[in-house]
Amino acid sequence: MRRVSLALVALSATAALALSGCSASSSDPGSADGSVVKLLGAEDPATFAPVISAFEAENKGTTVKYTQVPFDQLSSTLQQRLAAKDKDIDVYTVDQPNVSQLAAQGFLEDLSDLKDQAKKATTPEQYSVNVYQDKLWALSVWNSTQMMFVNNDALAKAGIAAPTANPAERWTWEQTVDAGKAAQAAGSKWGLLFEQVEGYYQLQPLAESLGGGSGITGKDMLTADVTNPGWTKAMQWYADLYSNNVSPRGVGGFQTSPVFADGDVPFFIGGPWDVGKFAENAKFNWSVVPMPAFAGGKAVTPNGSWSWGINPASDHKDAAKKFLEFAALNPAGNLATTEKTTIIPANTEAQAKYLPTLEALGGTHSAGVADLITEEIKTTAVPRPVSVGYVQFESMMNKAFADIRNGSPVEARLKDAQSQIEAAWKKLR
Amino acid sequence: MTAPGARIQRPRAASPLPGTRRPRRRSRLVWRPTLVALAFLSPALIGLVLLRLAPAVVAFWQSLQGGGILSGGEHFVGLDNYVELFSSADFIGSLLVTLLFTVIINPVQVAIAFLLAVLYTRRAAGSGFWRSLVILPIAVPPAVSAVIWSVIYRPDGLGNAFLGMLGLPAQPFLTSPTQSLTAIMVLLSWVGVGYWMLFLIAGINDVPTELYEAASLDGASAWRQLWTITFPLVRRPLAFVLVADTVSNFLVFAPVQILTKGGPEGSTNLLMHDIFNRAYTLGDLNTAQAEVIILVLLTLAIVAVQFRLLKSEDAA
Repeated sequence: MRRVSLALVALSATAALALSGCSASSSDPGSADGSVVKLLGAEDPATFAPVISAFEAENKGTTVKYTQVPFDQLSSTLQQRLAAKDKDIDVYTVDQPNVSQLAAQGFLEDLSDLKDQAKKATTPEQYSVNVYQDKLWALSVWNSTQMMFVNNDALAKAGIAAPTANPAERWTWEQTVDAGKAAQAAGSKWGLLFEQVEGYYQLQPLAESLGGGSGITGKDMLTADVTNPGWTKAMQWYADLYSNNVSPRGVGGFQTSPVFADGDVPFFIGGPWDVGKFAENAKFNWSVVPMPAFAGGKAVTPNGSWSWGINPASDHKDAAKKFLEFAALNPAGNLATTEKTTIIPANTEAQAKYLPTLEALGGTHSAGVADLITEEIKTTAVPRPVSVGYVQFESMMNKAFADIRNGSPVEARLKDAQSQIEAAWKKLR
Repeated sequence: MTAPGARIQRPRAASPLPGTRRPRRRSRLVWRPTLVALAFLSPALIGLVLLRLAPAVVAFWQSLQGGGILSGGEHFVGLDNYVELFSSADFIGSLLVTLLFTVIINPVQVAIAFLLAVLYTRRAAGSGFWRSLVILPIAVPPAVSAVIWSVIYRPDGLGNAFLGMLGLPAQPFLTSPTQSLTAIMVLLSWVGVGYWMLFLIAGINDVPTELYEAASLDGASAWRQLWTITFPLVRRPLAFVLVADTVSNFLVFAPVQILTKGGPEGSTNLLMHDIFNRAYTLGDLNTAQAEVIILVLLTLAIVAVQFRLLKSEDAA
């Protein structure tokens, strides 16, 4: 009898453990309440606190609950949870080039009824990144561009006049490398450095400037084209930066901005987020000028950032849509998303209000940044390609950039990348 | 064979003839301890099924599925994913890198751990302090040690500064396809050797000191004592360390992801990293599951060979 009761105790303990595990998700009070919108993203919770409180103040009775997932895990988390039709996500942040893949997988709610409003609210490039098969799947919340940060003291030492912020006086890459080498001769450790040394986002403009295109072509945007003369020439130029010791090998993406802040490089290709960073850390005379273009080539700058979309499995689509419209289409709401971070709002009206604040961050160093960003977004911005296979493409290209930087022969490595991309895309069809 | 459940479910009311009572009571007495044991084991057994066996079955089943997002939904493709893997130059490259890595790192780590264990079990001034220094890296999370070593391996980092002090030329380390795998092995050994050394120290401390005293009286040198007393008597902990080290080295991921992402030119693309890349970067979960199955089979095969070799030594 004693043994039987012992067995019963053990079994009930096991059952209790198992049941408590199963019931954890169903006891969430938020999921039963229709007035709770759940937002999922990769940013620090403080970043979205202003837009959430502004929305809640305007929409009494509706609350927004934010969950942060680390950036590295965002894509895999979304894949797992959206595939499982998880209702605990109403709105989520989407890296813009991933919009078409998520839409093709059925992980985004069709927002085509907002097409007209979305077109009016932002630039044509920022509208088009959210369109796949003529339908609108997400709304742009943030935008970006790239600029060149200049260490004027290092150039002065080499007797070189610094470039200006005027896009009409944009330097060429050739001119920049020559000046960088002269600065190295005058004592600078390096000549030129890209912030995202192995990132397609920042290197796409090199090939685009020489007419190589984005690297993806075809009616269905599933044909790789990274071995054309434009890409080969651009990547050879990039490889030479490292083989000629103009740029350092072995410095990873998260280690690049300190190289400029420490005064070790006269030219640094970075984003608006660096203005605030260098205003705090760089103790020399610096300025912000347009990103260069190749001599005889087209001026091209990177573009795009984050959009937000709605989970088709959400039980609160109406409230979610209301929140999304507030954050993307309402200028005040969109501006609130950038209150705690240095990023350009995608909403044109919000952007106009935001840029003077950004310019003020760096004082005299960042004079002219507002006009420069406005001009670049209007005239030279080229977004990343809209393709169902972008994720695979970017991953393979970033690996190729890393190898090219470390000395792999350019033509052969680009050919490898092309066949790797094509093999990965075969699996999508 | 009768199922145990059938016996206990037989209702008491349907009492059989008096002559049959005894054997039934005996069988109940026999079964009760088994049931109690099973009940107590049930959390572990349920855990084993839910967390180990079921995922393994799911992984195998998914590895037989295929279908892109454009073709709409998954369908059974048989062994296509396996065929595709073995015809992919990238996968073959990853497999060869993993085998080369395994063949080099495991003997090296075990040998260094053994020699350090011998050294730190000697009664010498400060041996406890030095032992602690060797063990210390275990406390550092793998991601943090990777970041520390990324600074060491930078072209203008600590590694080249040290080589410069010795008058040696600067090395490319992680940026060279010929040096990157070695650089990763050095990092992993910095973390791992101290950990494996702990098990071997425990083993060496279990060797009776009389054996060493007797050998000394017979005039055996320290080297001779190491090979004829210490080494054979710590073979069991050594076997454990070799097998556990092999398995853990097959599962190396964080340093590769943080430092090289499998490059340059795939020279550090270990299978574990390739699986992650295929599953979560390229979104090809089915082929990644096929690769998981191959990795498990490879690990099992190598561990089985290790066990067999050690068993035959025992028999001898």
